[in-house]
Amino acid sequence: MLQKFLCLCAVFSMYATAYTQNSFTLKGNVYNAKSLEPIMGVTIFGEQNMTISSSEGSFVLGPFYKKNTSIRISHIGYKTQDITINFSSSIENLKIYLKETTNSLKKVELHGKSKNRLYEESPLVTYNVDEDFLQKNRENSLMQTLQNIPGVSTINIGSGQSKPVIRGLGFNRVVVVQNGIKHEAQQWGSDHGLEIDQYGIENVSVIKGPASLLYGSDAIAGVVDIQPPKIPHIHSFTGNVNLLAETNNDLLGISTGVQSRKEHWFYRARLTYRDYGDYKVPADVINYNNYVFQLSKNHLRNTAGREANASFSLGYIARHIKSETFFSNVNAKNGFFANAHGLEVRTSDIDYDRSNRDIDLPFHTVNHFKVLNNTSIQQGMHKISIELGYQHNHREEHSEPVAHGYMPKPDNSKERIFKKSTYALNLRDEFKPNDRNKLIYGINTEYQDNNIAGWGFLIPAYNRFTTGAFAYDHYELTHDFHLMLGLRYDYGTIETKEYVDWYETPVHHGDGTTTNAYVQRAKNKTNKYGNYSASIGASYIANNTKYKLNIGRSFRMPLANELASDGKNYHMYRYEKGNLDLDPESSYQIDVDFDHTNNLFRVCMSPFVNFFDNFIYLNPTANYNNTENLQTYEYTQAKVFRAGGELQASTTLFDKLTLDGTLEYVYSRQTSGPKKGFTLPFAPPLSGLISANYEFKNTRFFIKPQLTATAKIVAAQKEIVPPEEITNGYQVFHLSIQSDVQLFKNLAPVTIRLKLNNVLDTKYFNHTSFYRLIDVPEAGRNISLSMTIPLNH
Amino acid sequence: MKLTQKISFLAITLFLFNACSSDSDIDKDLEKPTLTIQFDEAFPKACEQLQRGQTYTFKAKATDNVGLVAYSIDVHHNFDHHTHDDQGVECDLGPIKTPVNPFLFKKNFTLEQQPTAYELSITVEIPNNIDVGDYHCAYSITDQTGWQTQTSIDIKIIE
Repeated sequence: MLQKFLCLCAVFSMYATAYTQNSFTLKGNVYNAKSLEPIMGVTIFGEQNMTISSSEGSFVLGPFYKKNTSIRISHIGYKTQDITINFSSSIENLKIYLKETTNSLKKVELHGKSKNRLYEESPLVTYNVDEDFLQKNRENSLMQTLQNIPGVSTINIGSGQSKPVIRGLGFNRVVVVQNGIKHEAQQWGSDHGLEIDQYGIENVSVIKGPASLLYGSDAIAGVVDIQPPKIPHIHSFTGNVNLLAETNNDLLGISTGVQSRKEHWFYRARLTYRDYGDYKVPADVINYNNYVFQLSKNHLRNTAGREANASFSLGYIARHIKSETFFSNVNAKNGFFANAHGLEVRTSDIDYDRSNRDIDLPFHTVNHFKVLNNTSIQQGMHKISIELGYQHNHREEHSEPVAHGYMPKPDNSKERIFKKSTYALNLRDEFKPNDRNKLIYGINTEYQDNNIAGWGFLIPAYNRFTTGAFAYDHYELTHDFHLMLGLRYDYGTIETKEYVDWYETPVHHGDGTTTNAYVQRAKNKTNKYGNYSASIGASYIANNTKYKLNIGRSFRMPLANELASDGKNYHMYRYEKGNLDLDPESSYQIDVDFDHTNNLFRVCMSPFVNFFDNFIYLNPTANYNNTENLQTYEYTQAKVFRAGGELQASTTLFDKLTLDGTLEYVYSRQTSGPKKGFTLPFAPPLSGLISANYEFKNTRFFIKPQLTATAKIVAAQKEIVPPEEITNGYQVFHLSIQSDVQLFKNLAPVTIRLKLNNVLDTKYFNHTSFYRLIDVPEAGRNISLSMTIPLNH
Repeated sequence: MKLTQKISFLAITLFLFNACSSDSDIDKDLEKPTLTIQFDEAFPKACEQLQRGQTYTFKAKATDNVGLVAYSIDVHHNFDHHTHDDQGVECDLGPIKTPVNPFLFKKNFTLEQQPTAYELSITVEIPNNIDVGDYHCAYSITDQTGWQTQTSIDIKIIE
């Protein structure tokens, strides 16, 4: 009988960035309960308003000013339904199934919590952004797009590549997860960028702190979690074409995606292509040390690049099972600045200035292929999730062959080649024994096979196996007071492989003689690690004010480069020496989150205090490597204290003008070891972002036109470690205009964005940019025009 | 907002930004050493011509605020014109050529006394059988903290 009473689910409200909310809207679809076909012309009554469903069965009802309300759904030939709605935020996707028969309906409950509510209840301090944020902040790479999230910054390698930094830590301390599986590439490398197509992403959740409890080793400083896109509506077809053009690096980009669903089966597909030239900086010359590089027409020569990505997924959804398999391939080629690679000044016969679009040496190519499957099965009180993944990363670094030290001139440009295969399996059960408890437990397993080639040796080949078991419980003490407690244990092995130079080096012996020998740079060695992670936290929701407190411990296994590097990094003028005796890093963090919203403004604050027992750090020593004459950099461990946080405030004036301000700061100190008293490398300076957004009235053609002005104000970074340089503060201004335009009669409106970055063509330096070390300023003025054209009604 | 909330808000803000400014400053060495050949006795100077079979004393000067620890010298060929020096002088380079038996001189030294000023003086013997042509002479020096300074000079080795 039960199923006769109700047919409904409610779910997923996407908009996590809730600003001042006085009212709620309710969006949904009405379907025939039997045929699952949408029903047109259904009347939906609110307490003060009503609407009629469209030909696709969809409707929008609102505004509602009360949190608890009821609606009535009626249509001829169908049984009238009454539904009680309990808003915690606007509901985006309420599905209503109407029965044809005249069965009586006695009680209907609304199950499910909005995504926003779930986030508020979780003691973990996370920051979620949706597709709207991504589109508004769209920059040249995913991480550049995400850097407007307070506490998130990037290490940029030219205009098209970047890697994530969370509260000042990056490289292997930040995990990027896509569709439940860790993205595995050469994250440790300073000129490596993230190989993920930024189009087609709907939701990103950022954890700004130790999260190895949930994600295993490496997630010691944070996680960028790219969540799987929403499942398309039943009997739907949607799609869009994104076009992008930029003046600074003459970029042309196109990305087109479609998704469709019958009843149970659905698919998505996307193609992206981007091609860009050398980017322009507001300088005619670059002065580095005593070198002078003349730039041709402000072009930073040889920083052009291209990227071609394809992805496809096929999914099946039924009442208790959901499964989707994703295939994706990202392929990119990027040039590096020709006059200096790393710190090394280079001259060349290559005529770099003949074109600003060609990619000459030095450059890198990368291909990242992934197959992932996400399956979840709902079985009574259990929801079992399985994530399975295979990925292959193939990266090649090419540079002009030059004799270096005792190495003769190689006969090709393949300096370093990395091939990495990663297999991952995650199993998880979400068990809800009662209304109050949600116990999540599971295992993560990952195996990596890393191979190397090329004439330049930096890190050895290695295999890495990690596995971890975790359990955490989310307990609802009262409706508004939640606790979370979790524990995890990980075990891992790293098996480094031997490497012997391909050329001879003179070896000086104790008796004064010298012989030539092929030097062994890495040995066969297996290291084993075991470590635990823990987290305890509470969240409290007092109407408009939300509090969170979380204390966590995370760990990270040392990487192969930290353990077994024994290579000459000529580009950085250094000899990098690993240490096989390194301990796993462990980190403790206290996070607080405070969020208050009222009719006038919203303010959020998220301070943190963090302590590392044994931070692994590449320490520049005062010594020279015996045979190579390069300064020796050794991987060492030090205690590190860090504190800081983010502050955000926003207000809406006259209903139209929204003002936002954010401030972020991280203080870090090494409190032991050879660099005691110093900060950590790539420390982001104190920075603030102020933006004003004005929404104009709709006109005949322009829907929701808006103007946004942004000022980024950054203080000087005087906290440096060798070989960094002090970076001055700066202010930079951006403008953008956005509007939906009804261009095509039968299609949904087209979104057009015109952005003007660095309005004043300000010359400034970003302390965390790859090219900062050689005194290359950031990109100059850029005008970009982007268009999102829907392919559906 | 309730008063307690306002107070707690203010308190946390103050704590947060106090933590930033109250720096238990340990004296950090943020200065790189200096390295120069801009003095009369320096050798070789930019575009200097050296003869095969001769022995020379290379000289440069270095200073540091804390203490110099180690220095190195690296003389290598520039037959492929791979880099140029940082002395601000353009030297005439010979044609690009393939090395047969190029001169390679690499040595590094440790300064046990860790002086704040030091004159580098390195004896370099140029063998008779090496290739003549364009060469580089690169010096580098480190201080106690691990700061490194480099300088390089375009030179020629002739018959």
